[in-house]
Amino acid sequence: MYCFFTNFPYLRNVSHFDFMEKKIEKEINELTLFEGLQREDLVYVYRGIFSQAITDSIIALTENNLTLVGESSKLKKRVFSIMVECLQNITRHQFVDGHEDVSGDQSGMFVICNKDNSYQMTSGNVVNKEAIPHLTELLEKVNSLDKESLKLYYKQVLEDGSISSKGGAGLGLIEMARKSGNKLFYSFEKINEALSYFYMNTSISQQLDEVPIDFIDIQDVVALHKFILKKNITLIFNGGLNQKSLMDILSLINEQALGSLERKKKTYNAMVELLQNVVKHGVKLDEEKMGGNPVIFFISQNGDDYVLSAGNYILNTSISRIEEKINFLNSLENKELDDYYVKCLLNFDVDNSKEAGLGFIDLRMKSCHKLQYEITPVNDTLSFLLMQVTV
Amino acid sequence: MEALRIEETEDTPKVILDPENNVFSISGRSLPEDSVAFYTSVFDWLQQYAEVAEKDMDFEFFMEYFNTSSAKQIAKIFLLLEKLNDKVFVQVIWRCKKDDVDMASSGMRFSKLLNLEFEVREEE
Repeated sequence: MYCFFTNFPYLRNVSHFDFMEKKIEKEINELTLFEGLQREDLVYVYRGIFSQAITDSIIALTENNLTLVGESSKLKKRVFSIMVECLQNITRHQFVDGHEDVSGDQSGMFVICNKDNSYQMTSGNVVNKEAIPHLTELLEKVNSLDKESLKLYYKQVLEDGSISSKGGAGLGLIEMARKSGNKLFYSFEKINEALSYFYMNTSISQQLDEVPIDFIDIQDVVALHKFILKKNITLIFNGGLNQKSLMDILSLINEQALGSLERKKKTYNAMVELLQNVVKHGVKLDEEKMGGNPVIFFISQNGDDYVLSAGNYILNTSISRIEEKINFLNSLENKELDDYYVKCLLNFDVDNSKEAGLGFIDLRMKSCHKLQYEITPVNDTLSFLLMQVTV
Repeated sequence: MEALRIEETEDTPKVILDPENNVFSISGRSLPEDSVAFYTSVFDWLQQYAEVAEKDMDFEFFMEYFNTSSAKQIAKIFLLLEKLNDKVFVQVIWRCKKDDVDMASSGMRFSKLLNLEFEVREEE
């Protein structure tokens, strides 16, 4: 439902806006503080329920991204085979026995990032305290073996037939170690007396050389996890965005429990406009390196509201035009907004593949809040625009 | 005149413009990156058809979702239908699911802007 059907008197409360603006500023600063969340590189974080459809769309989105940056098919294949193991691991173990209702700090998490010339994947899921000694033993065993011994060990476990009720006997772990050629870095962080959170990292060197990566600081991911829990973030995507990756992100959202159908549609609509705006108008920092336009996108939950944030580069020469447009839209009341929408809808002077002139108006109408934005200078030609929409 | 048929994709709608069977419909999702390019064939077809149209026409929309750039192209289709209405009787049927408030209000908005028989039909 469009917001002109309802009244939001608190929108006129200035202090509320000051607060929102400060909040955005704080969020970006905190977010970009994280090493690995540099704006150019792929960072993709998903936290929530893992279903088949969700893992499929995570894989599709990553595949598209690796293709966009021109990775070899050999590397892509390796990344996928490990990703699949990683995601299966979370899917299988996301619920601790008897607790199907996993939420908040107990929900599963998957992180992939491109850092230090490698693709680093980390799975996160909750485990019973009792499972820790066995898991540790298994991981230490796998990490102690070289390539040949791993192969033998794999065979031995397979023939042994001691497959657990959840279909795993550590085969997945052995596979991950074999395919990556690297150690499995891990950590257990205590949640309460009975449960811990299990983080496990597998990395693949982009050069595909056989030199193992000596050390991955899993505490980076633990810190990231704490941060997204605090902010109630369910998804972060940082990388090249084109129409294809937009469709993959959308299918991920379609699988999410976002409350009512109406809420889901609103979120979907706002995401399309927010992200297509980046696809069409975003500017690249480095033409060579990336296909698609660089974007940082995240979804967080604030009470009953979903907050969608998208950041992209813009030309300094377009700053005043963008500011003017957003400020103008924010100055309009509901009825005026609707009239303005119609006026622009029928203005065919602005009608080309790049621009219909309606995206921001629609976002403003759907969000029922003023559009929050922030522009941070980057260099002589570019600035970084962060837009935030609450639905 | 030969029919125009475009199959549905994940980001473009299904289009059937078929005078012989008297089916004129656009349905599904419309959020292409370049909606101007996608709808060009629809405009071209309608413009040609306007030259030869003889029968009354029921033009049906059954959209699940469309983005703002598609909204503009849909508005353009309506303006072409308005012109066509001078020649043959054109009725627009804007179908939407009963609980789809968004599509229903989009239909209402279009109906107010147009000088055409326009029915918003909410369905179970």
